[in-house]
Amino acid sequence: MTNFEEDISVYEIISVLGECFQNMATVNLVKHLPSGQMLALKRFHIDKMRDNIYLVEKEIILTRQLQHPNILPCYSTFVHGLEVFVLSPLQAFGSCKSLLNSHFNDGLPKLAIIMILRDVLEAVSYLHKIGLIHRAIRASHILISASGNACLSGFRYACALVNNGKWQKAIHSFPLSTRPNLKWLSPELLEQNLKGYNEKSDIYSLGMVCYELANGREPFADVDSTLMLVEKVRGCAPILQEFPITEDNDCDMPPNFPKRFSRYLHEFCYICLKREPRSRPTAAQLLTNPVFKLIKKGLYLPELLRPALPLSDKMAFNKDEIASVDLTPHMNEIDMSLCNWDFHSNA
Amino acid sequence: MDKNMCNINENLEENHEEAEVVNRIFRVESDEELRPLSDAENPILWMNENADLDDDLSFPNISNFFHRVDSNQILYETKKRQLKMIGKYVMGDLLGEGSYGKVKEMLDSENLCRRAVKILKRRKLRRIPNGEQNVEREIKLLKRLNHKNVINLVDVICNEEKQKMYLIMEFCVGSLQGMLESSSEKKFPLHQAHGYFTQLIDGLEYLHSMRIIHKDIKPGNLLLTLEGDLKISDLGVAETIDLFAKDDTCFQGQGSPAFQPPEIANGVESFPGFKVDIWSTGVTLYNITTGKYPFEGDNIYRLFESIGKGDFTIPGEIEESLRSLLLGMLEKDPYSRFSIQQIRQHSWFMRKPSKLVSKEVPIPPLQGDSLHRMTVLPYLEDHYYEFPTVEDDGSEQYITERELNEMNKNSAEQNNGKALVTQNSKRKWKKISCITIRSIPGCKQS
Repeated sequence: MTNFEEDISVYEIISVLGECFQNMATVNLVKHLPSGQMLALKRFHIDKMRDNIYLVEKEIILTRQLQHPNILPCYSTFVHGLEVFVLSPLQAFGSCKSLLNSHFNDGLPKLAIIMILRDVLEAVSYLHKIGLIHRAIRASHILISASGNACLSGFRYACALVNNGKWQKAIHSFPLSTRPNLKWLSPELLEQNLKGYNEKSDIYSLGMVCYELANGREPFADVDSTLMLVEKVRGCAPILQEFPITEDNDCDMPPNFPKRFSRYLHEFCYICLKREPRSRPTAAQLLTNPVFKLIKKGLYLPELLRPALPLSDKMAFNKDEIASVDLTPHMNEIDMSLCNWDFHSNA
Repeated sequence: MDKNMCNINENLEENHEEAEVVNRIFRVESDEELRPLSDAENPILWMNENADLDDDLSFPNISNFFHRVDSNQILYETKKRQLKMIGKYVMGDLLGEGSYGKVKEMLDSENLCRRAVKILKRRKLRRIPNGEQNVEREIKLLKRLNHKNVINLVDVICNEEKQKMYLIMEFCVGSLQGMLESSSEKKFPLHQAHGYFTQLIDGLEYLHSMRIIHKDIKPGNLLLTLEGDLKISDLGVAETIDLFAKDDTCFQGQGSPAFQPPEIANGVESFPGFKVDIWSTGVTLYNITTGKYPFEGDNIYRLFESIGKGDFTIPGEIEESLRSLLLGMLEKDPYSRFSIQQIRQHSWFMRKPSKLVSKEVPIPPLQGDSLHRMTVLPYLEDHYYEFPTVEDDGSEQYITERELNEMNKNSAEQNNGKALVTQNSKRKWKKISCITIRSIPGCKQS
């Protein structure tokens, strides 16, 4: 593997890809000069982060310990001036959230959802096996590479099931930093009682992601957090909408509307969102879910994601602009918001 | 509450001319004690609670009104639990009560974090010597503290109009005292006691490093969070050593008598402050490991006499290393009493006792709920959903006390540890997305 130096001078900053970490950090597209590789560089300004800087530290330490094809690796980290730099491979399609925002306002195609879910499940299964709960599985934390490989990121919210060398039956922590993820969190986590929660909480979030990818909107969007809490505790969960949700349509099913999702996908979402954690399957069990049989050989995620294009192709279309000196204004014009990594529109 | 009191009085007064109280509605309007009607509880008690007898109002003419009323003639109005907001916090049920006022549960409506709130009434504070001063000092103190084992003050809200102050703190599920009282032997297994003791020392070391003498360390002031973290709380009588003071000399002791060191019991004029906390931590360790107190007395004079002598015995079953730690911490001479460093290096502190002995003492249930569920949830439910109870024909709006008794009996049978919310009225969440509660600004009048 290429050695990525811990030195800002070997990286040429090409453009701004977007913001992450509740818009407190910037993501740059950079070129590694010795190898010519394109990479993503997250920049955290220490003064701007204030108390959250410990979360950055936590994320780096944790990510460095993980190794899985569906987990966003961290190639290198270093401090330069007042900034912490985190180098990771370029995810050319950006986050699922940005895909939904830019091209798929009513949700991704069925097969794309299933392929993404499978990759995420592989990562979640790996995490649970080593005793970690992610606690922030959401579309903005799922990134997709040019080849269509989905990666999980956002490890600053994760917590360990293992404490003092012992595997805990339940976790009770409810850190305030989880606030941006409340909509995806399981009822038992939000309840904060002595029962606690475990890795099944991630499965619930996965169900929420399934809904999010399928319907193109955040779960419990526009609902007060207190109402969302009551709804979740009462066992109410969103279900996949077969037809696009628009502003004015009431819940009348248009006649002869072709079904967008398969029965299996509906069921997948349903069992993930069960109120009782024990009724939800484990990540390993979910990997054998019939929904993944729909992934036939030869399916290629980038093709399913058309008309969205990976970043490198876009770059090819806009070579002239890339070459010009004053980059950023031009990059804004050509809609680089597509690559709003780790996008948190409403924190 | 006052309003509620008045209501009852008014009702009674109106009835004065009538021969019998018939079909009178006793309004249950208090914002504090509203309970679901199914709550398995003695209805007479319920009435009393609503009357809030400890309030300032006296009962000038209550004795004039001893009417005999049959239980099916007392009517209760089924009333929605009123959602009460203090700033961004939703008010829940009572958690405990102290001399200064009530402690209730709250929910931060923005980040959905459970909180506890100490409600202080200026009227009550004035009656306690140094009450207002102590509170001010405690707030100032807590604001500059930040440690895992010291209670965290999250927010302070004042309501000048109602002369109330709300100290919003981290949510805790119980105190060591409450756990001890609920256990059969009034003590913890050694490994559990060790876990609390090490956390107590961590928190105490932090306080001392901030030049703070707590002065009231005791199991009742050691709280536990859901995660099992110990929090030193109640810094009401704590003292801060001046930044330029030569040493930790103190002149005043204010804590609970049974936990006071000999130098305070003997009335010595000045004494080293940090060692006061070491002593009371020693008494706490003695108490949680043996279930007894090292010094006892029928009254405070006898107690102080016994503490002043400094002679105590340690039960024979206490292992040697713990015995020597207790002797070091309960050393009569404050100057030869252990320091925190000596405690840390002690063999009992460094080695966690094995867990094989017995089961851990659990946190006792609150109002019969061993899981300590959010008490704010029922209020939120009543706020967001209208249950179809009254719409049919107005008659069901009231129930008699007899019916209530029967309902209580029934629900007590059914309600053995079952979930508090039955999911009978499942609704799609989308439909109600128009409801907002943000329209309630600031403090709402009760």
